[in-house]
Amino acid sequence: MSFFDTLFHATEWLRTTWVVDFSLWVSNTAPCQWLQEHFVAIPGFQSIHILAIGVLFGSALMVNLRILGVAGGGHSVPETVQRYMPWLWGGLAALIATGIVLLVSEPVRNMVNPFFWIKMTALLVTVLITAWFHLAVRGRMANWDRSANGKGAIKVGAAALIILWCIVMAGGRWIAYAPV
Amino acid sequence: MILESLWHGIEYSGFGQSIASSEVAFPLIETFHVFAIVTVIGTIAIMDFRLLGLTSRKWTASSVSKDTLWLTWGAFGIAVITGLLMFVSKASTYMANPYFLVKMALIAAAGVNMALLHRGPWKAIGSWDSALAVPANVKLSATLSLIFWVIVIFCGRFIGFTLGVYQAPM
Repeated sequence: MSFFDTLFHATEWLRTTWVVDFSLWVSNTAPCQWLQEHFVAIPGFQSIHILAIGVLFGSALMVNLRILGVAGGGHSVPETVQRYMPWLWGGLAALIATGIVLLVSEPVRNMVNPFFWIKMTALLVTVLITAWFHLAVRGRMANWDRSANGKGAIKVGAAALIILWCIVMAGGRWIAYAPV
Repeated sequence: MILESLWHGIEYSGFGQSIASSEVAFPLIETFHVFAIVTVIGTIAIMDFRLLGLTSRKWTASSVSKDTLWLTWGAFGIAVITGLLMFVSKASTYMANPYFLVKMALIAAAGVNMALLHRGPWKAIGSWDSALAVPANVKLSATLSLIFWVIVIFCGRFIGFTLGVYQAPM
């Protein structure tokens, strides 16, 4: 069974769950109707959503590439973490806020869709790892050699986080291409 | 018109049709285009915010440029390649779409803006590298850069919603 067959069956299964009733209920709410009636609303909020990912992913790249020793060599890891992590969390807040608007704008298309749930799972995992990672790096800041890169597990984590954010973005793009 | 037959010819070339008719090619190319544009706008914003004196205030402008510029260019290269691949699959539809045309014009404007910065005030960066109060023309350049790229993102998203609205002349 191919990947797309699996997704097709996942959609069929989602159709038998509470997700259908819930998404139909959201469809009838005033915010959803407003978003549907204004042609510029959905692409407009999607654009802001993409700008928010730009802020988040740009920050994630700078921190993780610095830990990997690939970029930002002129600044120490603690300096880099202090500079970019607040922007990563701020970007995430904007991402979730616009994401909720987009969810409400097309409830059935989004929720009765395996890619949406793959994306949400990937997002949850990525955010949890990022939070753990931020705490782990912060705990080591005081005795982090100014010039050193990350070591061992932290380097693996940095590379994994870049890939995970890409999986989240890919999940978002593929919501439009769910096999039905 | 000769250009219209050119776009038509590109779209209906074997290569253009192989992308258009594949179930996964277009979404896959689009996905890498998203990775690329997100990196372009993210790294450009880091640089422009430093030039405006809003962030990275302890770091010199040249060190922020060293951190970001190669990523911006690398990602821009991927965005151009993936963009061209999408273009050949629907060339005449894109050329009839005003959002696409505005997007291309703004990318060109952003390029000219950047070239002017690097040929002008950037040459004297030694005198303002660590200053938060960078010269006014540098701030203007950073502001224009942010405006151009934000509108580029909006246009890109609106293209996908208006492909059926603006039809190419046959």
